[in-house]
Amino acid sequence: MSKRPFWNPYVAGVVLGLVLLASFLVMGFGLGSSGAVTRFAVAGAHLVAPRAVETNAYFSQYFGSGKHVLEDWLVFEVLGVFLGGVLGAYSAGRLKLGIEKGPRATTAQRLALAVAGGVLMGFAARLARGCTSGQALTGGAALSLGSWVFMMAVFTGGYLVAPLVRREWR
Amino acid sequence: MTFPLYAHGLFGTYAGLLVGTLVGVAFGFVLERAGFGRARNLAAQFYLTDLRVLKVMFSAIVTALVGMTFLSGIGVLDLALITVPETFLWPQLVGGLLLGAGFIVSGYCPGTGVVAIASGNLDGVAAIGGVMLGSLAFGFGYGPLEGFYKSSAMGAVRIDQLLGVPIAVVAAAVVAMAVGAFLGGEKLEAIFAPRAGALVPASPARVKARVFGGFAAVAALALVALALPTRGAATPARAAKTIGPLELAREVVMAPETLWIVDLRPGAAAAKERIPGAMVPPATDEQAAFAAGLAPTRRLVAYGASGAAVLPDGVRKFLGDVYVLEGGFEGWTSAVLTAPVPPVNPTPDLVARFQLASALHARFTGAAAAAPVEIRPVANVPTGPRKGGGC
Repeated sequence: MSKRPFWNPYVAGVVLGLVLLASFLVMGFGLGSSGAVTRFAVAGAHLVAPRAVETNAYFSQYFGSGKHVLEDWLVFEVLGVFLGGVLGAYSAGRLKLGIEKGPRATTAQRLALAVAGGVLMGFAARLARGCTSGQALTGGAALSLGSWVFMMAVFTGGYLVAPLVRREWR
Repeated sequence: MTFPLYAHGLFGTYAGLLVGTLVGVAFGFVLERAGFGRARNLAAQFYLTDLRVLKVMFSAIVTALVGMTFLSGIGVLDLALITVPETFLWPQLVGGLLLGAGFIVSGYCPGTGVVAIASGNLDGVAAIGGVMLGSLAFGFGYGPLEGFYKSSAMGAVRIDQLLGVPIAVVAAAVVAMAVGAFLGGEKLEAIFAPRAGALVPASPARVKARVFGGFAAVAALALVALALPTRGAATPARAAKTIGPLELAREVVMAPETLWIVDLRPGAAAAKERIPGAMVPPATDEQAAFAAGLAPTRRLVAYGASGAAVLPDGVRKFLGDVYVLEGGFEGWTSAVLTAPVPPVNPTPDLVARFQLASALHARFTGAAAAAPVEIRPVANVPTGPRKGGGC
């Protein structure tokens, strides 16, 4: 199958905005992702050390409601994101194993940096109560003051650090 | 008002989860088609060679914002029922800087990382694994972080309300700002892409004209809608959420410093017996005007004798989140002050619920803990949580 091109970014943005609008109109809230990833991490940690997780001052919010930590709207939404991603990649002929990196970076470097950046984001998303989806996109559309501050800070942080990791991408 | 639909009580838990999955499928599909399953497309934003991230994100924000503004302008959507993420200024500023740094180092943000995994990119697996570790690190390091995490709490602040202008005006300003950023961004691409030996991203003028024209048209219609006579003026300024008695009891024990509890029953009843820590408005203050001045960093829980009382003006003017206790004081009496009955057919869920109820009952009445649950072998104990799943 020949690969389909990516959509024009403005058109993709409008369609994404319509999905976000639909979520607001139906559920009254928007999209998210890091919250669900955290729930998966907490569920995993709970398998290893149930007491340590349940008594933790931050994670205790996920327990005690009588619901499983994964029984949550956002978790199902992110499972949907995964399915939608597979559907998109498959139907475009882009579903194949690979590693995204610049020509000068080694695979080991790239994977190590992906983990390191991920750790930073996981921490940051909990501190900010959301990530690019839940805060910047959703809170941005809902005109939340904190979400706009967050969004500007994300771009600032990215531009400040980009020169330091140029070798990873260029 | 037709929207949001959930306000009509259409969705039980499972219907809601199904809607969530469907919304997610659409979200994931569009992110993939936008090119966001690939780190190089995302990283290009920060080297100014391809500002795809800016274009997609701001087009999406503008679309949802002008859409909501227009629909509320013609009286179809009740904006007061749309959740606005709460503002915690400093944690969100610092969190944003760190997340931006993590974004360019890992090549993905949490949502696009999931799409990268879905497209088969192993660096996405590494990034999401990192996000999981980072979330756990935050939780286990929470002790010293808690103070900062909860600092500069401003409640749900919407920019239009902060500025005191109609939302249609802010939406129109955001459209203007976004179109300006898009055109400026394309100028930057034209400078930086050739320097990096990359092609300047194609951007057909016809598509731009249609998209930008569409934004401007809907924003203009929303501005025109300001002239419409306001309908549904009777709806309260902000819908109060509800909280169950057990949930409230748990909060009263675990985190009393996060609550304001206001007893709205007539004076005599409130004087006799109240939820611990509840405030009773003085007899001269029928509208509970004092509540409007309470610090909005806490949640305000109001209760009447039974059911949802009509909220007095003072409570509705409270700037933070307002909750109404389900069942009022009667609900509290039957759920917390009455000894719970052990489940006849104990499933793990029911036992957990019973444990909570009896512990809270004992805590609030001083009664000895209830009789133990009779344990019989259970046929289908759910196995451990599914691990990983999409991530």
